[in-house]
Amino acid sequence: MTSLLDLLNMLSMLILVSAFVLVSNKRVNSYIKTFRMQSILLALIAGIFGIYHLIEEKRFDAVLIICLIIVVVKVIYIPNMLSKLTKNVEYKVEKDFFLNIPLSIIICCGIVVLIWYVVTLIPEFNETYRKIFLINSLSVIMIGLFFMINRKKAIGQIIGFLVIENGMFMSAILITFGMPMIVELGIFFDLLSAVLIMGMFVFRINKNFDSIDINKLKNLKG
Amino acid sequence: MDYIIISLFSIPLITCGVLWLVKNKTIINLINIVGATLILVNVLIIISEVLKHKKIEPTFFYNAFYVDSLSAILLLITAIIGFMVSLYSISYMNEELAKKIISLRKLKIYYCLLHAFILTILLAETTQNMGLLWISIEATTLASAFLVGFYNNKKSIEAAWKYIIICSVGIAFALLGIILLYYSSTQSFGHTIHGLNWVFLFNNANGLQGSILKLAFLFILVGFGTKVGLAPMHTWLPDAHSQAPSPISALLSGVLLNTAMYGILRVMIIVNKNLHSTTFTGRLLITLGLISIGTAAVFILVQRDFKRLLAYSSIEHMGIIAFGMGLLSPLSVFGAIFHMINHSFTKSMLFISSGNIYLKYDTKKINKVQGVLKVMPVTGVAFLIGIFAITGMPPFSIFSSELSILISSFNKNNFLGAALILFFLILIFAGFINQLVKMFYGKPSSKEIVKGEISKTSSMVLIILIALISVTGLYLPGPIKTLVDSARNIILGV
Repeated sequence: MTSLLDLLNMLSMLILVSAFVLVSNKRVNSYIKTFRMQSILLALIAGIFGIYHLIEEKRFDAVLIICLIIVVVKVIYIPNMLSKLTKNVEYKVEKDFFLNIPLSIIICCGIVVLIWYVVTLIPEFNETYRKIFLINSLSVIMIGLFFMINRKKAIGQIIGFLVIENGMFMSAILITFGMPMIVELGIFFDLLSAVLIMGMFVFRINKNFDSIDINKLKNLKG
Repeated sequence: MDYIIISLFSIPLITCGVLWLVKNKTIINLINIVGATLILVNVLIIISEVLKHKKIEPTFFYNAFYVDSLSAILLLITAIIGFMVSLYSISYMNEELAKKIISLRKLKIYYCLLHAFILTILLAETTQNMGLLWISIEATTLASAFLVGFYNNKKSIEAAWKYIIICSVGIAFALLGIILLYYSSTQSFGHTIHGLNWVFLFNNANGLQGSILKLAFLFILVGFGTKVGLAPMHTWLPDAHSQAPSPISALLSGVLLNTAMYGILRVMIIVNKNLHSTTFTGRLLITLGLISIGTAAVFILVQRDFKRLLAYSSIEHMGIIAFGMGLLSPLSVFGAIFHMINHSFTKSMLFISSGNIYLKYDTKKINKVQGVLKVMPVTGVAFLIGIFAITGMPPFSIFSSELSILISSFNKNNFLGAALILFFLILIFAGFINQLVKMFYGKPSSKEIVKGEISKTSSMVLIILIALISVTGLYLPGPIKTLVDSARNIILGV
């Protein structure tokens, strides 16, 4: 059991590192690739969990279905759809981010430190592994949120939303060892339709505003 | 009797499916009305059942569905306003079709999305599984995204983009709260299939862990609070509610905000029972409520667009409801639930009349509209009455509920809160009267404006709503009072 927790700990750390890599990416295609790598790591977590239950406790855990769905939806389908969307829209935005990259990385470090402090204040999470799992998951969620508000392209906002969802799944699997099946499937369906609808809206934004720079959507104020 | 809930969901589903196949305009309108009437009848049967037996607990799908008095009140509001909106949509969309602003295909899409939206709202109000509740509330955002961006111009697309991004991120935080809630439940009771059911969590609330519940409540308050429109998470609301077509604005303001509040309330009941005190949740709700009312007051004073002004008024009233729920005394919770009902009816009436004004004058700007009382008497009177009703004038219903909340605030020695609310209400009243009364008098500035109402259907809807808000201010019918009383007891946890 300890070696399983060690392995999961290492994978969750790698996901946190990939979140930092995401913040430092400059171009759209590279952050779609980073997102794909992060989703592969998440599918690995779910898969290792399912395989452990299969081998050690001799029962089929539904986490394996989730691993399969993550691979199909987040590793294959959504990055391909986003790359096709990027090719079809005008993406020449001069400067994609509001704060430059070194400052963003320092802010992300500050976010992780803040979440460390907050989680240590909660008395229930004092086992080492559970504490680190919660810290990593919350940090990925907050770094995804920071990425979303730092980028000016509409596709950056979609990727930020997807990273937040990656963090959610990570927390669901690592802390509660899987939510009820119906709920997880429903959440997947909702996220998939949300991303599809956002993709359609990026298309419409491009047609109406001739660019996907979110900073240009300034008509409704006050 | 358990099958009444299955029929409640199958009606909008079948309506949506059938509407997709039909090509004739009159048949589309007919199916739309028949669907809305059947939902209303179904909900009335559910309410009579809840009055007899206190709750409906069907056992299929692992006890996923559960209707008690709190859900029943929300179902009643949804069904009545859904019916009014479907009736009004016919005249609104027919007018837009006649002016060639939309095509027949867009009309079909509108009605299909309208019924799909109503289906997701009904799903959110009848489920007790917290995960399914989250899924339905996210589904309402997705179903209404295309309705908000319906007109496909620059402003609508900006409004729809802000709506879908801000609400989805907010609701993602609510999901984190629900995951933490489930974590607490598995820590105490292991992995059961009932781990996310509200009745199970409420009965065993003392076995959960307090600090995790506090963290979960914070995330859920911020998350679902985005959907309710509490400041500072309200920035999507003025854009979305003003750019959507008017019947959809009525549905969004009147029904969806209440449903998101329902999500917060269910979790608040569990947390209060565990902590054995109401200060933690109460203080948060009171603070967010006061900030919302203040923000709304400041922005109402400077508005130039009448639909946007009505949207800020929705933020204000949701703040009042949050304040009432936060005080958690019997009178204030009664006032808050009553306020949910009153606000839905009054705001829908205002949005429907503003829709008529928009169709007649073709603009949303206040200074371009003049002489509404001469051009459209019924709409003008409804809008004028609505302005006084929404700012809290007797004998209309909003006065009664606001008075209850203020009285209980003084009873609980929260003098600062009550003083702030009174101050903001004065500002809002001043803003409303200063901006909007110009629209009613004088002569219409352009000669092309034809005198007369949009259609008899819209006038009929407005007259019914005026009657509803006037009557409930003075007399609450017996069954409704029983429902509100038992809902209040559920929220107080007794």
